[in-house]
Amino acid sequence: MSNEALTDATTPQTLTAATFVEIVDALVGDFDVIDVLTLLTARCVELLDAAAAGILLADSAGQLCVVGASTEQIHLLELFQVQNDEGPCLDCYQTGEVVLHSDLDTPSPWPGFAAECTKAGYRSVCAVPLRHRAHTLGCLNLFMSEPGGLTDQDIALAQALTDVASITIVQDQAIRDAAVREGHLQHALTSRIAIEQAKGMLAERNTIDMDEAFALLRSYARSNNLGLTNVAEAIVAGTVTVDAITTRRPPPPPRPASQA
Amino acid sequence: MNHDQTSRLMMAFARETARSSAARLCTACVEVLDVTGAGITIMGGDQAGPVCVSDSNVAALEDLQYTTGQGPCRDAFFTGVSVHAPRFGIDASTRWPSFVSLAQRSGFGAVFAYPLITAGAKVGVMTLYQQGEGDLTRAQHDDSIGLAEVLTETVLSLQDEAPPGELAPGLDEAVKYRAEIYQASGMTAIQLTIPPEEALLRIRAYAFANDQTVAETAAHIVARRLRLPNDDQPEMEA
Repeated sequence: MSNEALTDATTPQTLTAATFVEIVDALVGDFDVIDVLTLLTARCVELLDAAAAGILLADSAGQLCVVGASTEQIHLLELFQVQNDEGPCLDCYQTGEVVLHSDLDTPSPWPGFAAECTKAGYRSVCAVPLRHRAHTLGCLNLFMSEPGGLTDQDIALAQALTDVASITIVQDQAIRDAAVREGHLQHALTSRIAIEQAKGMLAERNTIDMDEAFALLRSYARSNNLGLTNVAEAIVAGTVTVDAITTRRPPPPPRPASQA
Repeated sequence: MNHDQTSRLMMAFARETARSSAARLCTACVEVLDVTGAGITIMGGDQAGPVCVSDSNVAALEDLQYTTGQGPCRDAFFTGVSVHAPRFGIDASTRWPSFVSLAQRSGFGAVFAYPLITAGAKVGVMTLYQQGEGDLTRAQHDDSIGLAEVLTETVLSLQDEAPPGELAPGLDEAVKYRAEIYQASGMTAIQLTIPPEEALLRIRAYAFANDQTVAETAAHIVARRLRLPNDDQPEMEA
């Protein structure tokens, strides 16, 4: 995915359409969330006539972290914002509303942040919430080098692009979570089956019944301080031989071995 | 109540049901969807295990699909889309000959299989059986999709609660049910000096060639009444 701007001959409408197409294409294929979000910040800069843009996401502790930005400098600004617990993005995240300050030369709720902005050459800022159902996941932070902020139309477009970013993030997390959980299930299934297979292998090698085979497996696992499923998987894979289990068998317990 | 809230409650109920008796999940499917029979199977790669079946006829059909590796349940899982056979005509008979034959003998006229699937995860299948011929109604189909969603999350969340690497108690029955088959593959693996996965294939081939279920062949092996031959497999019908 390329972050390069399209040629000067491209109209805003074409660029907007192209941006949506590019992102939707990414979503139906294999995509990297960071790539998509970084692309979004670059397109926002072009489409909204901003000087810089960054996307912040809240982590599980509620701390805002930068996940994509149009320049390195913004990165620093965002860090500043987060560290000092003040700024339009924080307000946006907490209220779920668009936050706009069209002239940083005039007083703002964030004096420290405003000072850093002005030093960096930005005169107005806007924060648009990353929404998903009733939640705010973070925000898109826009910086303009002129006062005046953004028009309603610009803000509406920014919100639409931000909504796409939200879908990207949520889709990816859902897929990742589900894939991880499915992996756990598959592994648990395989391990459980391995226990029965290992019982069969031990029963055959030693001409004993399944209960005795299971007791053998269990006592080997215990005396070697290993998990039962680990031992079973090793036997099935051949990394531990059935003979190794047998020769290390401790003396039989006084009770019949066939107790389940 | 909104959709999210309803889903969460349904999943909570399903989890509780599965913990006390996974068998009740199938009974619930039959009642809620108003069908003759139901089976829920968890699957992964070559593995498959019945979480529950509503009756012995359904059990036999699930076993047959496991033996032959063919059937609506398997198709639904591997394609990821629901499979509908509102009648057992030429199509179904060609696709799943032994399944259709047994299904008809068991008194079923139609079968519908819904994969238990969500974005990023595929865990098994819910198969519905009807005595009469004919499609599910729109309402039954919509409810089946909803139920499949709930069951997918139920299976995943049951496993979430288990220690890593251990199969959740509510799902253990799915493997215990075929314990003898896995034990037999272990025995055959030692007898023929082959890996257990290959031993299972040999057992399946033997069962198919001798008109037995895999479970029957496995029982003979575990009881030491049968030992698979060391030579090449008898020719199997395509």
